[in-house]
Amino acid sequence: MKSVYLLQWQRFRRAPIMVLSFFVMTIIFVGALAGNNPAERPAVMAYADDSLAQNEAEDWVASLNEAEEFQFQLMDEDAVREAVSSGDTSLAVRLLEDDYRIVLAADDMSRFVIEAFLDRKYREELRLQQLEQQPGADDIRSEAAAEMEEPALRVTTSTLGGIDEFKYDNQLQLLFGMTLFFSVYTIMFSLMKIVEEKKQGTWNRLILSPVAKWEIYLGHLAYSFTIGYLQIVMIFLLFQYVFNFDIGDRFGAILLIIACYTFAIVALSMLVMSLVSRPQQLQAVVPIIATGMAMIGGAFWPIELVSNQLLLAISKVLPITYGLEALKGVAIYDRSWQELSEPISILLLFGVACMGIGINLMERRTY
Amino acid sequence: MLETEELKKVFKGKTAVEGASLYIDKGESVGLLGPNGAGKSTTISMISTLLKPTSGDVRLNGKSVIKNPSDMRRVLGVVPQEIALYAELSAYENLKFFGRIYGLTGKALETAIQHSLELVGLVERQKEIVKTYSGGMKRRVNIAAAMMHEPEVIIMDEPTVGIDPQSRSHILEMVRKLNKEKGLTVLYTSHYMEEVERLCDRVYIMDHGKIIASGTKDELKSILSSEETVWIELDRPYPAFFKELQSIESIKQAIETEKGIKLILPKGSRVLGKVFQASERHHVQIINVNVQTPSLEDVFLHLTGRKLRD
Repeated sequence: MKSVYLLQWQRFRRAPIMVLSFFVMTIIFVGALAGNNPAERPAVMAYADDSLAQNEAEDWVASLNEAEEFQFQLMDEDAVREAVSSGDTSLAVRLLEDDYRIVLAADDMSRFVIEAFLDRKYREELRLQQLEQQPGADDIRSEAAAEMEEPALRVTTSTLGGIDEFKYDNQLQLLFGMTLFFSVYTIMFSLMKIVEEKKQGTWNRLILSPVAKWEIYLGHLAYSFTIGYLQIVMIFLLFQYVFNFDIGDRFGAILLIIACYTFAIVALSMLVMSLVSRPQQLQAVVPIIATGMAMIGGAFWPIELVSNQLLLAISKVLPITYGLEALKGVAIYDRSWQELSEPISILLLFGVACMGIGINLMERRTY
Repeated sequence: MLETEELKKVFKGKTAVEGASLYIDKGESVGLLGPNGAGKSTTISMISTLLKPTSGDVRLNGKSVIKNPSDMRRVLGVVPQEIALYAELSAYENLKFFGRIYGLTGKALETAIQHSLELVGLVERQKEIVKTYSGGMKRRVNIAAAMMHEPEVIIMDEPTVGIDPQSRSHILEMVRKLNKEKGLTVLYTSHYMEEVERLCDRVYIMDHGKIIASGTKDELKSILSSEETVWIELDRPYPAFFKELQSIESIKQAIETEKGIKLILPKGSRVLGKVFQASERHHVQIINVNVQTPSLEDVFLHLTGRKLRD
């Protein structure tokens, strides 16, 4: 097994371009789409409705910017409409006295995120305004703020599945999504060497040697696992320490999740390879699987924004869904081990099932 | 040393090999001849334990290797038809890996590598990447890889396909030396009759998945000892002349060839006079007439009705 494993590294050293290209592409995509300044919040253009005075509009913008999720910029209506119509921004917000409107150029996923945020902030603000109109409640805002410092009662809301209120972190969404997406290519193309070896005849040489067949498989699987695992870990470390992303300090949990996810993808690759016979077929199938899985599993946008029940049902059988859920659970929601155990267990179960079926089918094809 | 008994292999209802029984004594060099699709590769895959037979048995020193292939694999070297090497690595690195998987390490591994490279004449170029080698050099490394663990039996599946005459000659000489000087047992399959004639003591002829004849080269040729072959070289094809020759009773077989006509006649038959008379009648321009004793190629043609490379 060791000889087969070391051989794959030797071959990688001679032809590293494929793996390195996926590594570099991950960095380029995450870097370009998420930016490298963690303090930089997504900017949203806003303008005041005629019914709203300038100072009222400024108050609203200040209130919205308190949350530090988006950077609302109050601008002139003409300038905003020009920016939307020319495509400089995909959306803008029209602020009303007790409501808002979204001006859209294209209906993308950011609309759902901003809409959810505005909805929440407007409800809170209007509730406070309502309270202020009550007799003797002039100072209700400062009182509420003071009370919130040390609340008499804390109410924690969670669902049965341990899903917290949706929080959107653009940087981590992109980092996790793109890294897991590109790692599928690296793992699948690395494991494709088994199919190549069977075609070239070197596999038969190995079979005729004293090395057991399971050792040959294990050598290949271990190599694909290692290279996929290292790619994900190195990218996370790079963005954490060089580009100042904040994936938190629970590195142990993150390393465990990466290991389980990588195992699941290695197993899925084995299953895919058992169903196709030629390397050329695999080259066509891998991008379809990787992209399809990433789109449905929430690698390109948060799965929480998807409402189509069919897509959500399909996402439940994709390992990338659980990989992202677990990673975001650690880095964004700070979930407990108990809550993380579900996606981790599913990833392991998925891996064991795919591996079993894959090796079985591949062996049947040999004879 | 090595024998097969009634080997049969069926792929998805199609019989690739049927009733193949053969034996190879220690130190013997045996040829397995047959056209494409005859079942040679399937037979040697079963002998080398790569393929499980549908029925039949393969025995090494009297012991079946079907259920326990490790005994066979330990003493066997296989040179496959394809270049089964890692093209991005050097010859040295390839041999090092194949030696390692046979448990060779340290000095023993290094000695085996250099010995194998010497055998195939590639010591000087061992550090070069395999994909930069010529076809002949790749074939030589392909053989060296099978020799790393010093096997007692080597199976070579068309090891000279697609290479230049010089490399081919080098390989044939190497195989001959391994067999004659080192006592290596060889099972050699080829399309090239002259290779088998040069290397092998005995020959098995396969066609349509069955062994149709076997024996020493002389024994096989004696199948046709009662016949002789006459080659008639013509300036161009003469269909009417050919048709008349086919109708002459004492001519067993008349075959049109690239350059003229080949006749298979009973030995001592005085048929040439009739041939010349017919040529006169049809105004045929005969360039050359050659009377030959039978070759293995003739035996093959006689047995299968087609050429080896058909």
